[in-house]
This record gives sequence, C-alpha cells and structure tokens, in this order.
Amino acid sequence: MTSARVFFFGGIASYRALFGWLSPWVFIPSLLVAPVFQILLFVYIGRSAQLESDEFYVIGNAIQYAAIPCLFAMTHLIAGERFQQTLGYILITPARRLPLFLGRALPVVVNGFFVAAFSLVVGGAIVGMQVPASAWGPIALATAVSAFSCTGLGLVNAGLGFVVRETSVLSNIIFGLLLVFTGANVPVDQLPRWMQIVSEGMPFTHGIEAVRRLADGGALADVWGLIGLEALIGVVYGAGGYALIRAMEVVGRRHATLERA
Amino acid sequence: MTTARLLWVGWLMQMKMLARSSFNTLLGIVYPLFFATVAFFMFRAGDDPKPLLYASLGAAVMGIWGATSTAAGGSLAQQRWHGTLELLVAAPAHFALILLPTTIAMATIGIYSMASTLLWGWLVFGIDVQIGDPLAFLIAVPATVISIGALGFLLAIAFVRFRQAWALGNMLEYPVWLVSGFLVPLTLFPGWVLPISWALAPTWGIDAIRGAALGGSPWEDIAMALALGAGYVAIGVLLVQRTLRAARTKGTLALS
Amino acid sequence: MGCLTRLGRVNVVEAIDLRRTYKTTTGTIRRRSLEVEAVRGVSFEIAEGELFGLLGPNGAGKTTTIKMLITLLIPTSGSARVLGHDVVQDARWVRKHIGYVFGGDRGLYERLSALDNLRYFAELYAVEPRGQRARIDELLELVGLKGREKERVEGYSRGMRQRLHIARGLLHDPPVVFLDEPTIGVDPVGARELRATIASLTAAGKTVLLTTHYMFEADALCDRIAVIANGEIVAQGTPAQLKAGVADGSVVEVELFGVEEDRVERVRTLDGVRTATLEDRDQKQLLIVQTAPGLELTHAILSQLNGASIGRVSSREPTLEDAYVQLVTSA
Repeated sequence: MTSARVFFFGGIASYRALFGWLSPWVFIPSLLVAPVFQILLFVYIGRSAQLESDEFYVIGNAIQYAAIPCLFAMTHLIAGERFQQTLGYILITPARRLPLFLGRALPVVVNGFFVAAFSLVVGGAIVGMQVPASAWGPIALATAVSAFSCTGLGLVNAGLGFVVRETSVLSNIIFGLLLVFTGANVPVDQLPRWMQIVSEGMPFTHGIEAVRRLADGGALADVWGLIGLEALIGVVYGAGGYALIRAMEVVGRRHATLERA
Repeated sequence: MTTARLLWVGWLMQMKMLARSSFNTLLGIVYPLFFATVAFFMFRAGDDPKPLLYASLGAAVMGIWGATSTAAGGSLAQQRWHGTLELLVAAPAHFALILLPTTIAMATIGIYSMASTLLWGWLVFGIDVQIGDPLAFLIAVPATVISIGALGFLLAIAFVRFRQAWALGNMLEYPVWLVSGFLVPLTLFPGWVLPISWALAPTWGIDAIRGAALGGSPWEDIAMALALGAGYVAIGVLLVQRTLRAARTKGTLALS
Repeated sequence: MGCLTRLGRVNVVEAIDLRRTYKTTTGTIRRRSLEVEAVRGVSFEIAEGELFGLLGPNGAGKTTTIKMLITLLIPTSGSARVLGHDVVQDARWVRKHIGYVFGGDRGLYERLSALDNLRYFAELYAVEPRGQRARIDELLELVGLKGREKERVEGYSRGMRQRLHIARGLLHDPPVVFLDEPTIGVDPVGARELRATIASLTAAGKTVLLTTHYMFEADALCDRIAVIANGEIVAQGTPAQLKAGVADGSVVEVELFGVEEDRVERVRTLDGVRTATLEDRDQKQLLIVQTAPGLELTHAILSQLNGASIGRVSSREPTLEDAYVQLVTSA
C-alpha cells in the first residue's frame, strides 16, 4: 500500500471498525443534542449572571465541545486497537508510521469539525446570532484548525492511554480542563495570571478567539495570527503524541505490554 | 419486610460495586468541579455574595444528577453485557425492586461530588455556605437523592431496549442541569419550559436544599420531590411489565 | 404438582411442541428482515428425580429451548409446564421453584466477592434471612469454594466461576434445576468434579435438565437423552436405547493425510454406508464410516479413497458418539 492509500483507506476503515460513533443512537444524542444543550446551559447562566453576550457562549461552547469527538475518538482508536490486539499487527506492517497515524487522525478531525460547525449553526440560530455572510468561510477554517489542534491533544491522550488504565477518566478530565482554560465561558483576560499562561498553550483558546472576532465582523487578515497559533499548537501536540506512542511502542515491545491483557 | 430488605441489600451491593470503580468515584468527584469552577467565575463578577452561594449549592447538586443520568441509562445494557440481566429477570423478585435500589445507589454516590463541590467552592473561591436549618438540610439531601434515583430508575427501564442506552442517558445530563434551575433561575425561561421543570424532581430538590441552607421553608419542596419520585416509580413499574414481556417475546434479554 | 403420565410417574417438566422464531435484520442501509426458526416443535417430558439431557451441536436450539422453560423467552407457539404450572402464565411461580445455571465467564458481579454475590441472589430468591448464612455456607462447601468466598469474583478461574454459578442456582433449594452447558471451558479435572456435583443433585431428589454438546457427558450422567439438531428432536431415549439404534452396524475408521471432500462424498454413496464424516485431528484426518450390519465394506471404502495417503485402518463397535453423529447429520 502506498502511503496515500494507507492514509485514506486505512484511516477510514479503522475508524469504522473501532468506533460505534457511526451508530445514530450514539452520534445524535452525544454529538448533536448534547452540545446544543451545553450551549444553552451557559447562555442562560450568562444571562443570569449578566456577563457576556449570547454569542460569546455559543461560539465558546460549540468549539469546546469538539473535544468530545477529538479526544475520545482519537484515544479509542489507539486504545481500541490495543484491546482488539491489532495494534501490534499495525505497527509491524511495512507501511510508514506517519501516514498511518495521520490517516487515522483525519476522520477524527473531520468529525470534530462537523460537530463544532453543527452546534455553532444550531446554537446560533436558537439565540438569534447575527454573523456576516462573508465570515462563515473563515469561521469554518478557524473551526477546522481548532478541531485539528484538539485531535493533536487527543494523540497525546492516546499515548498516555498506554499507561493509564481508565482512559475515559483522563479524557473527561481533559474535557473539563478545556472547559475552564480556553476562554469558552470565561474571558481569558479575567482568569488569574497563571491560568492565562496555561490557556495560551491549550487547543481552542486561539481558535475560539478567532471565531469570536470573525463573528463580530472582523476580517480574516485580523485573525491569521490566531489561526496560525492554533495550527502550531496542533502540530506540537500531534508530534508529541506521535512520539509518545512510538516510545510506548518500544517500551511495549521490550516488556510485552503492547496488547492489553 | 422482604421488600425493605431487598431494597436495602440491593442498594448496599450496588454501592460496594460503584465505590470500587475509579471511573465512578474519581471522575464523579472531579468532573463536576470543572463546571462548578466555570460557574463560580461567572457568578463572581459582582460584589454580592448571594449569587455565589446560590451557584455553589446548585453546582453541588449537579453532581448528583451527573452521577445518575449516564449510569442509569446504561445500567441495564451493562448488566446485559455482563450476563447478569437475564439472571435478574429469571429471579422471582419483582424486577422493579431489583432495579430501583441500583439507581438510588448511583444517586447516592453523587453525594461525594456534592461534598467535593462545596469544599472546592469554600477552599478556592471562599464561598462560605452556612446551613441555616441543619435538620431540614439532612432531610432535603436524601429526599433529593432518592427522587433523583427514582428518575434514574425510570430512565433505565425506558431505555432498556436500546443497546446504546448510556448515550441517551448521557444526552439528558445537560438538559436537566439547565431546566431544573441548578444555576439558572426559572424566571429566565420561556413559559412553556416551566411545566417541564416542575415535572422534574431535581427542580424541587435543589429548591429544598437551597431553602434549608439559605433560609426559606423547604418542606413543600421536599414533599413535591418525593411525590414526583413516587410517580416515576409508579410509571416505571408499569413500564417494567410491558418492557420485560416485550424483551421475552423478542428475545433481547441476553444479546450482548 | 406435576402431571401424571400413563405409567403413573409424575412429569415435572413438560415441553409441548415448543417453537421459537427470531426476527433479525441484516444490512445497514437497506435493512432486510430474516426469520430464523431456532426451535421447531420440540416436545419432551421429564419425570421426577430424572437427570435429563438435551444433547446437540452448537446452534441446535438447546439454549433457546432451555430459556423458554425458565421463563426468559416466550415461545412463538407451543407451551411448557414446570411442576404443573405454565411457564408463561405462571412465570413468577415457576421462577420460585427452579434453579438456572449457565456456563461461561459471565453472569456474576465481578467487583463483589463470591459471598456478596450469593447474599445478593439469596435476597432475590427470598431465602429466609435467618437461614441465609447457613445455607450459603452449606453451598460453598458443596461446590468446593469454602475459604475463597471473600475474594472478588474478578479473580476467579473459569472452573471456580462455574462452581459459584451452581451454588447460586441452588440457593433457594429448588426442586428443578436447569443447567445450560455447565462444564463448557472447564479443565478436565474440574469438569469431572462438577459432574459429580451434578449427579449428586438427582441423588438428593431433584429433577435436572442438562444441555450439553459433549456426548460422553450425556452418556455418563443422564438417565434419558433427547438429541436435538436444527431445532428438532431427532431421537429420545436412554443412552442404551440410543446406542441400540446403531449397535447393529459397525464403524470403519480410516486415518488420512489430506483428502478432499469429493472422495468422502464418493464413500457416502456406497451401498451400505450410513454416514461418513471427516474429522480433523491435528496433522491428520479421521474418516469415520458407519456401515449397515453384516457387510464388509473396508475394501470398497479404501478403493474409493484410492490415491490418498492412508494411515491406520480399523473397524470397531459403534458408540453413543456414533449414534449421535448419525442422528445429527441425518437431520
């Protein structure tokens, strides 16, 4: 198999094989209904506390919720392969590792983008959010890049899954951290200094800010820097996650822990 | 007497199992703290301490529903996967009496997160929650737990036919947090939402708990919560008969 | 109580033309529904104190039949009675008076100890609270788990789980016990001990229905056997009666090394050959041919196999296993 084929078909096949997300009974409740309610929850808390505009919470939560598919899907793919004891087989194929993993990451990114875009549109419609028509294209770009960067974090999470037994505990905690630190519901400049520093290095922080500015009428030129930062963060996490998994693979080969017992 | 024993033993066994799972304990305690932290930041903006107290108790009870909704939704599917569901159905005891204590146990575990949220609010945000009426509080909390457990029971049996029932239970986590008024006064909602809020026991439960802590009579709220809980159980019992009959006809009890 | 037969024996379990059809759907986009008839008119009776075996290959309908009898499945048609009570109309009564044990790793609460598992089920089966502790102790002794009851089930071996299942099924001292493949996946020594325990149940006066696909197990334990294949009973009787069905012939066994199915087919078409089955034995294959009585067919068989590598050839008396194969393959 050429690298390109490994990238596309290997990725999609493993995604479908390991992931019940494609069942409408999971997809619709967990990825379409839940994020809309998360948006509504924080919109109303915002109204109750009389802070930011509805738009603020719609954008923040729509993008933050992409963490669910990005983190869980990515982690499940790797952990699932371990559970089914296919990881060893995949790692010993002659296919080059990078396209292999990137191929697995791509459907995850697409999934994350779709979820964020859906809840952005639906949540926005419910609160009557006004967005200039020309902004939708750049917003889609910023959203996609955010999904990409969180998927990178998902790869790190997947690597940690080799040592942590209950991967869903870790994934949920990361979801919570993303809720608090990325300015999804609390403007970053209102957080304590140390939290602001952490925010800078998290996925979503810059993407959310970019989308907010675009929705307010900003131009793509204004937010290139933010989108670029978001992409960079994705690359760093992705590379780190990939390195971690390779390292775990080596450790696993030495200690025969590649497959879960 | 047998009924009481059955409920007690069922509750005890389920508590043992839940307490031995890091997913339920660690995550159950930590996860609501993230939402509470966001809420505290949001309500802290002004000078008035009352919104923070209001939010603190609300966030604390969110953990009880969080511990119940997904777990209850998926509990029968999980039992089916473990091969224990058919054993429970084959037993002579009434299935409702077997299922109810399990969902009440799930809600009981939520008390851990309630405690951790109040503690977190106090340690990190300086929210000092004084319990105005301790007796009423000590009654309001179990009443809320039991009525939320009853709602979980209804969910569990309503979703039993779905293999991915956990996802349906999970889907209801946010909506109940929203419309039960844990962090949002009901006055902010459009009129058509209110009957839904009133039909949910958690709405009355949080009112009772806030009343007991902050002043205000909780007794009517406690009564409403328990009455609704009894209603959920009654509906659930009717559903149990129908659902088990359907499962035995279609042969879906044991399929994993 | 049960229903009297013509012979005056009490029938504790009666299955009357039980049928069970499943509807399944295939395909994700275009769903087609299929009807699978798992059980097609099964009838038998079990007398009091009998150890009755339901013997058949995987997928024959044994588990489906047993689940109808224990009230977990409603028959599509037909009826069943346990101790005189209909399994559908009087489900609750039936549940109080039967024990159900199935094989496999599942069916226990992993995070609880064996003791807690038994205490829980004792409660579900309304075992007298005052007598629970004693009863549980007694059963732990019987199944050989005494001393390990406080350990969590997640650490139990397959054999231990199986023994715990049996203890659980006997908590309320039911007069009728249903065992679904109780020794499956258990090591030979453990399985032998389990069989001894099962045999002791009827010695204690209980009526037992056992499903299995192990012929020797049915032969060793059961008073009577019903052979089920493709959802139908193809033969019923004592082990001796079933053996008699093939006793008037003989069996030729031929060791082979890589023979194709079409040659086996040619052997089947020979006059006087009742069945011919090919079994894999590691590197070799074993061709087992059942022949009609009074015929010497060894040469004919070998000539059909001309060209194949042949090892040992032997001729012997038929066993219950051969009877079983004949019944099952002709179904």
